[in-house]
Order: sequence, then structure tokens, then C-alpha cells
Amino acid sequence: MQRASLFRSTPFRLALTFALLFVLAFVLSGAVVYRMMSADLSDRLDQTIKETYSVVAATYAGEDREDLIATVESHARLSQAKEQLFSLADPSGRHLAGNFVAMSLPEGFSTLAEGTEGIPAETSYRAYSGSVGGNKLTVALSVSATAKLEAIVLMGFGWATLLITGLAVAGGAFLASRVQRRLDGIAATMVDVSHGKLGARIPLIGNGDDIDVVSGQVNAALGRLSTLVEGMKQVSANIAHDLKTPLNRLQMILEAAADKTVSGQDISDDLAEARAESLQINETFDALLRIAQIEAGARKARFTNLDLEQVVKTIAEVYADVAEDDGKSLSVTLVQGRGAPIHGDWELLTQLFANLVENALRHCPEGTEIELSVTRHANRIVAAVSDNGPGVPVQEREKVFQRLYRLDNSRSTPGSGLGLSLVRAIGDLHGASITLEDRRPGLVVAVSFPAAKPPAA
Amino acid sequence: MTTTKSRWRRSRLSNSLPGKEPQIDERQALPIVVDVIHGNDIGSLMRILAVEDDRKTSDYIARGLTEAGHVCDVLADGHDALFAATREAYDVVVVDRMLPGLDGLSMVKAVRAAGVRTPVLFLTAVGGVDDRVEGLEAGGDDYLVKPFAFSELLARINALGRRPPALEQKTTLKVGDLEMDLIRRQVTRQGQVIDLQQREFSLLEVLMRGEGRVITRTMLLERVWDFHFDPKTSVVETHISRLRAKIDRPFEIQLLHTVRNTGYSLHVPAKVAPNGYAAR
Repeated sequence: MQRASLFRSTPFRLALTFALLFVLAFVLSGAVVYRMMSADLSDRLDQTIKETYSVVAATYAGEDREDLIATVESHARLSQAKEQLFSLADPSGRHLAGNFVAMSLPEGFSTLAEGTEGIPAETSYRAYSGSVGGNKLTVALSVSATAKLEAIVLMGFGWATLLITGLAVAGGAFLASRVQRRLDGIAATMVDVSHGKLGARIPLIGNGDDIDVVSGQVNAALGRLSTLVEGMKQVSANIAHDLKTPLNRLQMILEAAADKTVSGQDISDDLAEARAESLQINETFDALLRIAQIEAGARKARFTNLDLEQVVKTIAEVYADVAEDDGKSLSVTLVQGRGAPIHGDWELLTQLFANLVENALRHCPEGTEIELSVTRHANRIVAAVSDNGPGVPVQEREKVFQRLYRLDNSRSTPGSGLGLSLVRAIGDLHGASITLEDRRPGLVVAVSFPAAKPPAA
Repeated sequence: MTTTKSRWRRSRLSNSLPGKEPQIDERQALPIVVDVIHGNDIGSLMRILAVEDDRKTSDYIARGLTEAGHVCDVLADGHDALFAATREAYDVVVVDRMLPGLDGLSMVKAVRAAGVRTPVLFLTAVGGVDDRVEGLEAGGDDYLVKPFAFSELLARINALGRRPPALEQKTTLKVGDLEMDLIRRQVTRQGQVIDLQQREFSLLEVLMRGEGRVITRTMLLERVWDFHFDPKTSVVETHISRLRAKIDRPFEIQLLHTVRNTGYSLHVPAKVAPNGYAAR
């Protein structure tokens, strides 16, 4: 069996695609958040620097440089870890106070990159320079705190992304493998069927999901298929048997006739017999072909709206005398007044009811009363052929519709065993259901047609 | 078009049976029946084209038709047959549905399209429900399902070949002293009104229109009851016997005759026919 690997299977690919899309969305939104946060952090840093600068600068009042120098010194002393740097230079550029010597920084904000001379090595600084009474005051703040925060956020995002990716892939694989197992079950069933095990069915979970629904439909189709194949097998076997018997008889007749010609006897009786046999064989074939044609459904194109009562009436008229000559009686009961409009094929319906009446005539003893009736129930029209003859045993009722099936006690009467198959085929074509019921004694064959809608006025 | 006359197998036994005593011989139902039951059937030679690719079948048809006093041309190919049917004047064309070259259905459509109105009888291998309708829609006049008894084919060919012209509208039919008024739908014999049911009337009408010819069981089933299948019970026999009880039994001369294994024929028996009646 050809099996798709998990990674090439459709469910897994779908799961993976969705996981990737999800992770991508997460990373994108993370990047946006990070950028916004980062911008906000540098703004705050700048603000802090500016505030510190203002505090220091405020100590300079009235040409008194000493206070300013003292403030710078004290601020510088407080920042042991050199997180804050202060520098004060006189207008000539001479270093007056502070914990670092500011290079020639422009006024306003500037960034001191990592490794710039005069600052601690392992960090970069953000600086603000300004002129206080002609002296140059510079305040710088380490960005390490901000950077650390940013790193933490980035790290968090990274781990989250990794976790989500892992979860998505694992979850996808899990779901995909579940679906895959069921697909494998379907594939295995199909392989079994193609190898001739027509009884194989797709296992159902029973939760009513889409795969279950499709599997159920496939199972139903397989059911119909196996019924058909079984029917075909049986028909072939029956045809072989039922045709072999008359063919054997034909051969025996012909051999007897051949012997007779040698001795110069008259063989016209044998020939007549041979002809009858060959006609019977042909009739069987014709009936089989007819059934096949009707079942193919092409005939539906010739459907018209007709009155089922007229069909039944015609049949009653044709067969009443036949029944009488046969020592039986045939009566007919019809719907009062309204008629029985159905959509159908006159010729085929005639044959359907002719077959049913002929069955009753041939399989019932003398004195049997046969009754034809048409009744209307809601939107169904039921035509029934009833008799008070021997009936059909319950367990045989489905079988009599099978092709070439004959009840044991009717094997001696003429007939192909195809009459009721033809009836069923014609009934199916008309969407009619056919039931055999007990009449104690006797049999009722009821054919229930959907009533035709009255033509739109 | 490659047809040449030399490719045709023509069998002509000409008018070989005049003077033969009209008879209904039961054994003649086998293997080929020559329906010579009335003087009317003798001497009316028809030219028939049989289009059939199975050599055995065409031999069977040609032999039988020739013995029945007709001239029969046999062709096996649809194109050749189309050519012949549109060029030659035939009385009846018998066409197999399945043919090499051009199939029977298309051939007949083409023949009709060419304006040729020769009666056509289809031979269909399958007694399918649609085959007949298709054949009639294509322009065929009758159909016959294989395998067929030769007597059946001959009866149908005879019926087709001598169909009265459509223009001729008879209002009364007459066979001997039996008369049918088609307008008043009344049947009388020797002036006595015979009361018939509707189907009995139709049955008698078909028989009277085919006076002197064999009307087969299947022809009756089709024309009277519109049954296109073979009933397993004696539908035809029953109704014929009812009809016979009404039109024949009370009278001395029997008009309705059974042709064994084939069908029925309505005619005045030759022996008692008034002089000159049988002459055409």
C-alpha cells in the first residue's frame, strides 16, 4: 500500500502552515511592541538627563562658580558606579569638576559610543551639554539600564516565540497524525475492497465529524455496490444454470432428431420442440436485456402524465375474459371520480400490471378471485393486484424479485423467473414501491406511485 | 460510393407457385412457412431489399422470400443499402439495426431525408423498450425482434407492401357477407347486427383490413392492445375465440381462420368463394 509520510500528509502541512502563520504574526507584533518600548525608554532617558542637568545648572547663580563646582563634585561622588557622569569646564576648556572629562561635545544631546576615551569601557552613554554662565556643563547617563530592560523584553519574546513554534508544530503533528490515521484506515479499506473483500467498511468514530460523514457515505456506497455485485454473481450463476438446462434439452432433442433422420423417421415434432426451446432461451435473454435497459433509466425521457386508472382498466378489460376462460374471475375497483394522475410510461406500466395479473393467473388454482384496485392515499396512488390463491411465504417475498428466482413449487409452470424482476425495474423507474402482503389466504401485490402534481393552471 | 451490381446477391425464383392449392398446413410452420392461404397472396410479386450483414440470416430471409414468390436483393453494408434504396424502386426494405458502414437507423433516416417513402421494416436484435420507438421515429414503418419466425416476417412484409394508399379512406369494410361500418361502428353479417365490445371491434377491424393475409399474434397484440411484449397467457386466443363465437359460430361459413404457430386470417374459404372473388 502506498502510504504518504507524515510530513507530506495534507493535515500535517495544514497544521504546519497555520503554526508558521501564527508565529509570524506573533513575531511581527512583538517587533512592533519592542520598537515602541525602546523609543519610549530613550525618551525617558533623555528627560532624566535634562532634569539632572537642570538641577545641577540651577545651583549656579550670580557669577558664583564655586557652588556649581561643589554641586558637580557632590553629584559625581554620589555616582560611584559611574552611572551618571558629570563634567564642568571653564570657558577656556579647562576641567573644573566632575567624574569624567567631556570631550568637545556639541551643545544639546549626543551619544557617547562604547569605548569613547574618558568614559568607562563597557557601556555607552547619553549626554547633554550646555553652557552655564560661560562654563560648559555636561551630564551623561549610562544606557545600560535601558539596554538591560530591552534585552529582557527581547529575550522574553524570543523564548515565547520558540515555545509557541514548538507547541504549534507538536500540536499540528498530533492532530495531523490523528487525521492521518483515519485516512490510513480509509485507504486500507479501499485496498481491501479493490482486492475483492467487498465486506470491508471504513471504521467510524461516531462523533459525526466531516470524515465520519464522508466515511459513512462511502460505506453506504460500498453496501450498495456489494449488494449489486452479489446480485450480479447470483444472476450469472442463475443464468448459467437456467440456460444450461434448456440448452441441454435442446441438444438432446437435436441428437434424437439426428438419430431419427438416420432411420428415416419424421422429425417435425422434434424440430417444433427444438424451436420452442430456443425461443424460450431467447425470451430469457430478451427479458434480461429489457430489465437492464429499464434499470439504466433512459426510458424516463418518454414519461408523460397519465391516468393510472386507465392503465388498470385496460388491463382488466384485456384479462377479464382470459381469467374467465381459465376458471378464475377478475374484477376491478377504481378511485371514485378523481382519477389517478401519475407521471410515467404507458407501455411499461401496461407491462407491469400485465405481468402481475399473469402471475396471479398462472400460479393460482381454478376458482381464484383476482381483484385489481386503484386507491389514493394522500399523495400516493396505490394500484394493487390481489388474489385468494396460495400466496407467497414471508421468507420468500424479497427473493421473488430477484432475477431468475422461482419458488420451488412454481418451477414446473412455464415462466422465465424474470417477470417480477421486470416489475421491480419498472416500479423503480417510476419511483414506486412494491410490497407483497398476506391476504389470508392469498396475496396482495401493492404498487405505490407518487401522485403527479396537477398541471399548473 | 463503390457499389456495383456485381456485389449484390440476387435470388429470384420468380413467380413459381401459381396454381398451388391454397391450404393451411400445420407442418409448414417449420422451418419456413410459405403463407399461401388465399388466392390473393399468389401472383403479387414484391421487390424487397434485405439489408443484413449476417450471412446466415440474410440467406434465410432471401430463401424464404423467394419461395414466397418475391424478388429479394440482399446487401450487407449500410452505405451500399442507402445507395440502392434511393436508386431502385423497392416495395419493402428490411433493415437490420446493426450494420457495418452505416447503421440501420442512420441509413433509414438518410433514405427518408432523400424523400424515399418505401415502407421500411426494422429487424432489431434486442427487444429493447426504446429500440422500437427509435426505429419508428427514424422513419421505419414496422419492427421485428430477432429471432423471428419467418412466417412473422413474411406476414409483416405482406402487410407493409400492400398497405392501401393513405388517401383512400374507406368507411366500410367487407369480407364475404361480413360488413363493418367504420363510421357508425357497427358490424353486420347477413344483415344481422353483431354486438361487439370496443376491443373486439378493433380486433375485427385489423383482421378485415388485412383480409386474406396472415395477421400474426404479435401484430394483433401491437395493433389491438398496444402490447409490445409477449404475454404468457392466452390473451389473443381468448379474444379471438370470443370474436369467433360472435361473427362465425352462428353462421355456416367460417371466415376467421387460425394459421397454426403464426396467427389468424380472415377470408372467405377458397372452396366456397364465389367465382372470380379471388381474382385481383
